Amino acid sequence: MIVLLLFLVPLIGGFLSFFIKNDKTVRTWALLTSVITLLISIAGNTFAHSPGQLHFSSSWLGSLGSSFSLQLDGLSQILCLLTAISYPLILVSTWRSSYKTANNFFALMLLTQAGLMGVFLATDALLFYFFWELALVPMYFLCSGWGGERRIPVTFKFFIYTFTASVLMLIGLLYLYFQTPDRSFSLQSFYALKLSNDTQSWVFWLLFLAFAVKMPVFPFHTWQPDTYEQSPTAATMVLSAIMVKMGVYGVIRWVLPVVPIAAYSWGDVVMSLSVIGIIYASIIAIQQDDFKRLIAYSSIAHIGLMSATLFAETKIGYQGVMVQMFNHGINILGLWIIVELIERQFGTRKLSQLGGVAQKAPALAILFVILAFANISLPLTNAFIGEFLMFSGIWSSTVTHYNILFTVLAILSIILAAVYTLTAVQKVLYGPESSITEGTKDIHGNEKMVLWVIVIMVVVFGVYPQPLLRITDGFVDLLLNKINVAHLFVK
Amino acid sequence: MNALIFSAVSGVIMMFSSFLLNNKNSVRVLAHVLLLATIIANIFELRGISFFHIDTRGMLEFDRFALLFTLVANVCTFAFFLLSSRDLEKIGNHYSDYFSLLFFILAGIVVSSSFKSLLMLFLGIEILSIPLYILTGSDKRNLKSNEASLKYFLMGSFSTGLMLMGIALIYGATGTFQTGITVAEKVPVLLITGMMLLLFSMSFKVSAAPFHFWTPDVYDGAPTVVTSFMATVVKAAGFIAFMRLFAEEFGSIRPEWKLLVGIVAAVTLFIGNITAVFQQSVKRMLAYSSISQAGFMMLAIYSLSNDAKEGLILYAAAYSLATIGIFAVLVRMKDYTFEGFNGFAKQQPFLAGILVVFLLSLAGIPLTAGFLSKFYMLKATIDGGSLALAIFAVLMAAVSVYYYFRLIQSMYFKTGNATISGTTTGFKYTLAALAGITILLGIFPNLLTNWLYF
Amino acid sequence: MGPISLIALTLAALLFSAGGILVGKLFNKGSKNLQKGEAYECGIPTKTSPWHQFNVGYYLFALLFLIFDVELVFLYPWAVVVKKVGVTALVEIMVFIFILFMGFLYAHKKGALKWM
Repeated sequence: MIVLLLFLVPLIGGFLSFFIKNDKTVRTWALLTSVITLLISIAGNTFAHSPGQLHFSSSWLGSLGSSFSLQLDGLSQILCLLTAISYPLILVSTWRSSYKTANNFFALMLLTQAGLMGVFLATDALLFYFFWELALVPMYFLCSGWGGERRIPVTFKFFIYTFTASVLMLIGLLYLYFQTPDRSFSLQSFYALKLSNDTQSWVFWLLFLAFAVKMPVFPFHTWQPDTYEQSPTAATMVLSAIMVKMGVYGVIRWVLPVVPIAAYSWGDVVMSLSVIGIIYASIIAIQQDDFKRLIAYSSIAHIGLMSATLFAETKIGYQGVMVQMFNHGINILGLWIIVELIERQFGTRKLSQLGGVAQKAPALAILFVILAFANISLPLTNAFIGEFLMFSGIWSSTVTHYNILFTVLAILSIILAAVYTLTAVQKVLYGPESSITEGTKDIHGNEKMVLWVIVIMVVVFGVYPQPLLRITDGFVDLLLNKINVAHLFVK
Repeated sequence: MNALIFSAVSGVIMMFSSFLLNNKNSVRVLAHVLLLATIIANIFELRGISFFHIDTRGMLEFDRFALLFTLVANVCTFAFFLLSSRDLEKIGNHYSDYFSLLFFILAGIVVSSSFKSLLMLFLGIEILSIPLYILTGSDKRNLKSNEASLKYFLMGSFSTGLMLMGIALIYGATGTFQTGITVAEKVPVLLITGMMLLLFSMSFKVSAAPFHFWTPDVYDGAPTVVTSFMATVVKAAGFIAFMRLFAEEFGSIRPEWKLLVGIVAAVTLFIGNITAVFQQSVKRMLAYSSISQAGFMMLAIYSLSNDAKEGLILYAAAYSLATIGIFAVLVRMKDYTFEGFNGFAKQQPFLAGILVVFLLSLAGIPLTAGFLSKFYMLKATIDGGSLALAIFAVLMAAVSVYYYFRLIQSMYFKTGNATISGTTTGFKYTLAALAGITILLGIFPNLLTNWLYF
Repeated sequence: MGPISLIALTLAALLFSAGGILVGKLFNKGSKNLQKGEAYECGIPTKTSPWHQFNVGYYLFALLFLIFDVELVFLYPWAVVVKKVGVTALVEIMVFIFILFMGFLYAHKKGALKWM
C-alpha cells in the first residue's frame, strides 16, 4: 500500500495543482504534497517491513503480459527517499522565485515526481517504460516553459535525445519479452532469462543507451550542460539531483542482472568511456566561467565515476554507488541553491564578475565552503564515503584487467574537482569586490534553513553513513549474486 | 449488414433532406440522428443481433474484425460530425449533399472492410473513393480544390485500373473471386503479378510510399474539413481492407510479399517523417504525418498476427480521434502555418491542453492511445521476426516527435497572437471527450480490443 | 497460364496502343491545310470559334441521359427470366425502378433538368 501511495500522492497532488489558480495556495499545496510524500517514504523505510506494505501488484494490460506491480526494495528505498527529501528542499529553497502560471509549474513538478517514483518502484518493464516517459514529458514542459533565453532549442535537444534512446530501450525490453517463456514483462521473468552471448551484447546496447544518455556517460552528455544552464533552477535541481539517478538505477535494475555476460564483456568499454568522461568533464569544468555550467560538468564527472563503478562488479563498489547516489543528490541540490542565490542577488552567474562576497555574507560563505568540500569529497563529508568506497571498488575489481589504471585516472578527478571547485569558491567569495557585489546581503529565511538541513546531512552522513549502508546492504548481496559472471560461466 | 444498410439508406435520406427540411439546423440534426442510429444498429450486430438477413452468397462476411472497425469508423465519423459539421456546411451551397456523400463513404467502408470476394473489395473501394473525389472538389470556387479533385480522380482511377487488372489476373490464376485461396507448392506467376498489382493499388489508396505523391497536394487542396475525414477514417478503412486482403487472400503466399511490404513500410516511414519535418504549414505537416502513420500501420500488414489485428483497430481509433481533433481546431484557425499557432496556449489554455494530448498521442508518448497502438505494431513486428524494421520504426517515431512538438512549442513557448474563431462550449467539451477517450484507451486498450473476442 | 502468357499480354497491350499511333503515322499523307483544321459539326460550316464557352446544361443532360439509358439495359436480361423467377422478379425490378426514380427525383429537385 505504501508503495502505491508513494506514487499516487504526487500524481493526484499534481493534477489538482492545475486547478489551483492562486499563487500562494498552489505553492503551499505543492509543498504539502511533497512533505506528505516524504513522510510516506520515511514510513516505508523505517516502520513498514511486511511484504504487503512493500509490494503492490494489480492486473493491468494482462493481454500484453504486463501488470501494474510496484516494489520497494533496498535500491528503491534509497532513491525514493532521495526523491522525497529533495522535493520539499527544492520547493522551500525556490519559494521566492516567481513563475508565470505557477499552478502549471508546480503541477508539472509534482507529475515529474510521480514519474520518478514510478521509475524507481516499477518491477514490470512496460510499466517502467511508462513511468520513464511520464517523468520526461513534464520535465520537457518545465524546462521549455520557464527556462532561460535559449530554452526552446536546448530542451528540445534534450527531449529528442532522451526520447530516441528510450524508444530503443523499448525495443530492447520488447525483445526480452519475446525471449521469456511465459511472455511476460515482469522483472522476475527477465531475471530468469538465459540468453546467448551475442543476443546479450546487443540487448545490452539497446538498453544501456537509454541509461547512458540519461546519466549522461561520455559521449552522450552533450545535451546536459545546455539543459542545466537553460532550465529554471527548480527543474535543474530535479534533473541533476534525481533524474540522472534514473540512468544509474536503470543500469542496476534492468541491465546488469538481465544481461550479466554482456555487462561483463562490455564492462571495459563502458568503464573506459566513463573514465574518459570523468577527466574530460573535469577539464572542461575548470575552464567554465558560468557557474551553472561548471556544476553541470562537475556532475558529469561524478556520475562518470558511478557508471565506471557499476561495471567493476564489487560489493564495496556497489555500496559506494548506492550511498553516492543519495549523497550526490543532496550535495548538488545544495550547490544549485547557492547558484540560485547568487544569480538572484547579483543577476549574473559569471564567476569573473563576482568576488568578495564572503565579507558581507558570512553565512553564505560558510555554507558554500562546506558544500564545496563535499563536492571535492573531502573526508568528513558524505561524498568522501561514497567516492572512497567506489575507488576501492574499482581497485579491487576482478572483472577488468585495467582496474589499477582506471582507479588512478578516476582519482585524478578528485584533484581536478579541487581545482575547479576551489577556483569557483575563491572567485565568488574572496578577492576584490566587483561593482556587482558591492551591496551584497547575506542570506536568511528559507534558503538558509534548507542549506543548513543539507549541510547537516552532509556532515552526518559523512561521519555516520551506516543508516544508508544498511538500507542497501541486502540488495547489493542479491545483485552480486545475480551478476556474478564466474558463477554463470560455471553453469 | 446493419451498418451497411443503415448508412446507405441514410445517404439517400440525406440526399432528399434539403428538399424536405427547410433549414440547415434540422438537416444537421437529422444527419447526427441517422449516424447515431447506424452506430446503435452496428452495436446490435456486434452483440449478435442482425436486423436483416440477406444472402450475400458468401461475398460479404461480417466478422468481429469488420464490425468492430465499422464501429470505430462510425464513432470517429460521429466525433467528426459533432466537431466539424458546421464547417462542412460552410464549404458550399449543397450542405445536405455533403452529409449524404459521407454516408455513402461509410457504406463503402463497411463493404471494403467485410469483403469475402475480390469484386466486393473493388466495389467497396470505389464506393468510398468516388464520393471523396466529389468532396475534394466541393469548394467549387477554389482553384486549388479543383486541382486537388482532378489530381485525385486521375490518380485514383489509375490505381483502380491497376486493381482491376490485378483482380483479373488473380481470377485467371485461381478461377475464383472468393478470397481464401490455397496454392500448391509452386505459386503461379499470374497470382504473384496480381498480388503485386493489388499491393500497388492498395498502397496508393492508403498513401504508402512510393505511391504517396498525390497525398500532400490533395490533402492540402481539399477543404480542410474534408481532409480531416479523408486522412483519418477513410485511410484507416483502406488499411482494414488491405489487412483483410493480405491476411485472407495472400496469407498462404506470405513469403512472396513479406519483404516487399516490409520495404514499403520502411520507405513510407522514412519519406513521411523526413518530409514532414520541413513543412511550414500545419495542414501539410498533418498530410505528411498521415503518410508516416501509414508506415506504422503497414507494419500490421507486415506481421499479420492477432496482435497486429488488435493493434490496427486501436491504431485506427487512436490516430483518427487525434487527427480529427487537431483538424477541428485547425479549421477554425486563421493562419494554418506553425507561426499561426504562436501564443495559442495563452489565449485558449483549455484547447491547447487538449491539442497537447492529441499531439502526444500521435507522437506515441505513453499514457495515450497512440503509444499503445504503436507498441502493438512494434510487438507484432518483432514477433514477425524483424527486429531491424522495429528499430527503424522507433527511430522514425523519434523523428516524428520533432514536428509534433514543434506545434507544442508554437502554442506554449512562443509569443504571438493566434486567432481562432467560433469555439463554442459544446465544441470544447466534445474535444475534451475525445482527449479523454485517447487517454482512456492509452491506459485500458482492452476496452476496445476485447470487442474482437467477446 | 504462366509467365509467358503474362508477358504476351503485356506485349499485346503495348503493341495495340503503340501500333495504332505508329500505323497512323505511317499512312498519314501529311497534308495540312486550313480546311482540315476546321471544327467539324454535322457537315455544316462553323460560324464562330469553337472555343467559346457553352452551357454546362448540355453535360448535365448528356450525363443524366446516359445514366438512365444504361440502367435501362438491365431491364432486358430481366425480361428474359421474369417468367421463370416469378413474383420475386417483379418485386425486385420494382425496387430497381424505385431506386432509379429516386435518382431522377433528386436530379429534378436539384434543378438539373431545368434549362438555363
